[in-house]
Amino acid sequence: MNAPAYNFAYLNEQTKRMIRRAILKAIAIPGYQAPFASREMPMPYGWGTGGVQVTASVLTPEDTLKVIDQGADDTTNAVSIRKFFVKTAGVATTEKTEEASVIQTRHRIPETPLTEDQILVFQVPIPEPLRFLEPRETETRTMHALEEYGVMHVKLYEDIAQYGEIATTYAYPARVAERYVFDPSPIPKFDNPKLDGCPALQLFGAGREKRIYAVPPYTRVKSLDFEDHPFEVQRWDQSCALCGTRESFLDEIVMDDHGTRMFVCSDTDFCAKTRGER
Amino acid sequence: MTERGFADVAIEAAHAFRVIMQAMARPGRVLDIGADVRAPAPLLPSAAAVALTLCDFQTPVWLSPQLDDERIVHYLRFHAGAPLVAEPQAAQFIFATSADLPPQLGLLQQGTHDYPDRSATLVIQVAGFVPGAVELSGPGIRGRESFGVVGLDGAFWMAMAENHARFPVGIDVIFAAPGQLAAVPRSTAIRMLESA
Repeated sequence: MNAPAYNFAYLNEQTKRMIRRAILKAIAIPGYQAPFASREMPMPYGWGTGGVQVTASVLTPEDTLKVIDQGADDTTNAVSIRKFFVKTAGVATTEKTEEASVIQTRHRIPETPLTEDQILVFQVPIPEPLRFLEPRETETRTMHALEEYGVMHVKLYEDIAQYGEIATTYAYPARVAERYVFDPSPIPKFDNPKLDGCPALQLFGAGREKRIYAVPPYTRVKSLDFEDHPFEVQRWDQSCALCGTRESFLDEIVMDDHGTRMFVCSDTDFCAKTRGER
Repeated sequence: MTERGFADVAIEAAHAFRVIMQAMARPGRVLDIGADVRAPAPLLPSAAAVALTLCDFQTPVWLSPQLDDERIVHYLRFHAGAPLVAEPQAAQFIFATSADLPPQLGLLQQGTHDYPDRSATLVIQVAGFVPGAVELSGPGIRGRESFGVVGLDGAFWMAMAENHARFPVGIDVIFAAPGQLAAVPRSTAIRMLESA
């Protein structure tokens, strides 16, 4: 018998304790970006190192893990992270949303409604919603402390003045529990309503930016808008070309050099379930 | 001789953390702590699981007089390597029993408005839970949750209501009973149900 080559879930115990402390404070202060000492991971920044560190810190051997990238279980990022945890934590994996106890995601929330028994871990590239409006960390920190979010409303107003509507379509800012404005990661705004009052615990990890934040279960998450320009999600004239649903977020796929296009579900598991293929 | 702590550190700490995290995410919900851990009395194994899961050389710990026992001190130094401090105001984790809480919760580390996460976590050893003392609402709670702790009176819950009023700064509280855990973070609003 060989000794196991890795500590359970790759990270050493001191790292997990540090991340676990940050997760608890993030849960206690919903929407606040808690700093943590992000580690180098055996994958580059931008591949979900924040999400991987959060998942590694919450995982138990009894968990069933699902990993999605833009809604799909079979893309490179999802496959490599899933294999990483099979190798280092020995956990069971699944592609079926309802079978998973921990779901790590890049840029989507599954179409199948989540339950109290599930944890959703988001990979986050830029955790600070105010970063493109105010590049200085010292300033954005003060703005959060003072609850000074006027600049974000100005940005959304400028969208309306220029385009006639709020043109932000992903990473759409929202307010958590009537306090912190947060970036829900680059999920399409189609998914924002799923954040609100979700029975599952939602954790967000940004590896390069070294931040962890959380939305506890049943927490009010309100997408920013105006009385005369209320928040709206994307709608399509098409239905999914594979399963026929009109309820899910659709990807537009270019089929040839002549402009033929096809619209299909971004959530591959939901699409397969609707088709009755599983 | 020092008690052994977790049976298998990586696995049992993962089990313990899941329970602590779910308790913090669902304030007032009482959860069974399944982790295999031993601790020297009067430190409860449930409180010890919190200590060994979260505390290390980076987290100053304060022990209340009832827990400031030589065997417990040695246990925490050996398993967690945590520095023990003389004043609760200097601690990141405070371990106390319901009978000898630090006098003023408002004097514990509250964090700052820039960094509200730099705040203390108070772990209180209790005999058990009895709903009906307070009604909790806020993030993590669907509607409202009736909650109460054996041995903690109206004065404590008044202090907790003041703690919530300071949000986003403030402390977070974990209640450790034999075999069970519950938590009330600063985000939870508290309404008194009985005059105590």
